[in-house]
Amino acid sequence: MPLHRRSLLAGTLTLGAMQAFPGLSHAQARKLVFATFTGSWEEAHRAVLVPAFRKSTGSDIILDPMLSVDQIAKVQAARTNPPIDVMLHDPGPALTAIAQDLVEPYPVAQSAHYADLIADAQEPMGPAPFFQIVGLTYNPEKVKTPPTSWADLWKPEYKGRVGITNLNSTLGTGFLVEIARMHGGSETNVEPGFKALEALKPNLAAVAANPGALAALYQQEQVDIGPGNFNAIQILKARGVPVEFAAPKEGIIAFKTTIHIVKNTPVKELAFKLIEAALSPEVQAKLMQSPYLIVPTNRKVAMEGEVAKVLAKDAEDLKRKSVFQDWAAINRSRSAWIERFNREIRV
Amino acid sequence: MTVGYAPVAPDPVAAPGRPGRAWTAAYDIRLALPLGAFFLVFFLAPLALLVLVSFYADPGMTRFGLDQYARFLLDPFSLRVLGATLWLGVEVTALTLLLGLPLALLLTWAPARLRGLLTLIVLLPLLTSVVVRTFAWIVILGRQGIVNASLLALGLTDTPLKLLYTEGGLVLALAQVQMPLMVLPLVTALSRIDPNLADASAALGAGAWRTFLRVTLPLCLPGIVAGCLLTFAAAITAFITQSLIGGGQMLFMPMYLYQQASSLNNWPFAAAIAIVFLVAVLACVTVFNLVGRLSRGYAQA
Repeated sequence: MPLHRRSLLAGTLTLGAMQAFPGLSHAQARKLVFATFTGSWEEAHRAVLVPAFRKSTGSDIILDPMLSVDQIAKVQAARTNPPIDVMLHDPGPALTAIAQDLVEPYPVAQSAHYADLIADAQEPMGPAPFFQIVGLTYNPEKVKTPPTSWADLWKPEYKGRVGITNLNSTLGTGFLVEIARMHGGSETNVEPGFKALEALKPNLAAVAANPGALAALYQQEQVDIGPGNFNAIQILKARGVPVEFAAPKEGIIAFKTTIHIVKNTPVKELAFKLIEAALSPEVQAKLMQSPYLIVPTNRKVAMEGEVAKVLAKDAEDLKRKSVFQDWAAINRSRSAWIERFNREIRV
Repeated sequence: MTVGYAPVAPDPVAAPGRPGRAWTAAYDIRLALPLGAFFLVFFLAPLALLVLVSFYADPGMTRFGLDQYARFLLDPFSLRVLGATLWLGVEVTALTLLLGLPLALLLTWAPARLRGLLTLIVLLPLLTSVVVRTFAWIVILGRQGIVNASLLALGLTDTPLKLLYTEGGLVLALAQVQMPLMVLPLVTALSRIDPNLADASAALGAGAWRTFLRVTLPLCLPGIVAGCLLTFAAAITAFITQSLIGGGQMLFMPMYLYQQASSLNNWPFAAAIAIVFLVAVLACVTVFNLVGRLSRGYAQA
């Protein structure tokens, strides 16, 4: 009975396809999809932001954590029917997403919280619900005097003890710009930064492939000191790894992590509500508590705990201590820097 | 493994009394249709797209040209990255073969009860995630790791050796991670060798080594070729292990590709890197297969 067999096969295949692509059957009732970052960001958003959103809207939400570049690639591939409604970006990819016309301007006039944000967090194409902070990370058991300046990394006593990442990451690129600035350079002139990296070579124990791998090296005591992300360090600390964060006197590097409404989203109103929740002082205050310690951008949030102790007393203090880099300028030359780093920095 | 099957033992498929080849010829194409369709949609079509993207001249993908290929093939640095990647594959394959062959022999000669246990041990790495296995190697090779701690305790060195983020460490870790890919084809090939052949060889006065070199080794060459191909292909594309054990400054093709596609959004160049890599790997595989075919002739001689 070949016919019977064939129809059975077709039926099975259809069922299988519906299983594999649920979008086929559920295109209508769409939940809001928020692409957060993987790891601790997802944990924090799931625990604090998602319940707040559910409470304020009564709607459900799907967290689909992925890297910025993947978010951009997915939206780019389906501009008219994007699979994501809200994107989260580091400063470099955010500019790419805006340049490629993938995001909507934020409806600032309707926002209850936008005006309360620190001026640097007010981005009309997508505001910053938090800052990522980069400073000095060290192992207090090995480094007895806490470092106070980026220049400390060049001290001869740290021969073979310093860890950095390559320029694939925002962290690595930001660090290069900062040490260039320290030696008279800038976002448009990183020559002094590369010279400084060259001089750092004897001290380098490792050039990690990404910030996550760099953090793991502290755990293995493969490196004792280097540039590090404040939040990544807090996670290690909470697990009992001997690491501390110190703010260099040149200023902590603050990256605006921005949140955007994706263009052509079918659930624009929900997307707006999610972002409103992320900007609200209630959510930001909760995210600032241990174990998340996410740096708030809303001026109504009073700095507390570890954030107040290590970083800044209040919004004004944070603004004074932070360096915000010009990522539009960085994006223009980043590819050339990565190429140069590939060729020159071999340990 | 069907790669290079030495026709020494009788072929069970073509055994007399069964319909044999005629049966397969009529049905095998149609049976492969679902998988064929799957490959067409999810492998060949994206591959064609990849080739297309690689022919864009600029990262904005506005005009066509051979710029990306020229950029790669005329750049000594890029060619060095390609060379280093292929060489890494050769090193890992050689080490895996060296360590895997005795293991496979042990497995083949072991009594049946022990064989089950040994097979499980060989397969165990495949049952854990590559990321977990790789992190284990970070723990082993680190400054405070097992190797350095032992060396320090034995007084063989005063300061911890740098093992992590070195090519040697990477080769070792990759060899362990890819070991099952070498051992399984070897075991398949070895178990197909008629044990009477070794006895005959001994009866004719050959020692154990001579029997191994003249009988066992030639007969399991197809298994060696298959194992080497699998290990080589897996080692050069092992993005996770390469980046975690090799670190951020040891650049191999997968990381080079990732950098261009992911950090720089330069898809045409990333696509060109992928195509060049693919062609280079296919060339290696072809050469290897050729060696395998020659060796089969040797095995029959």
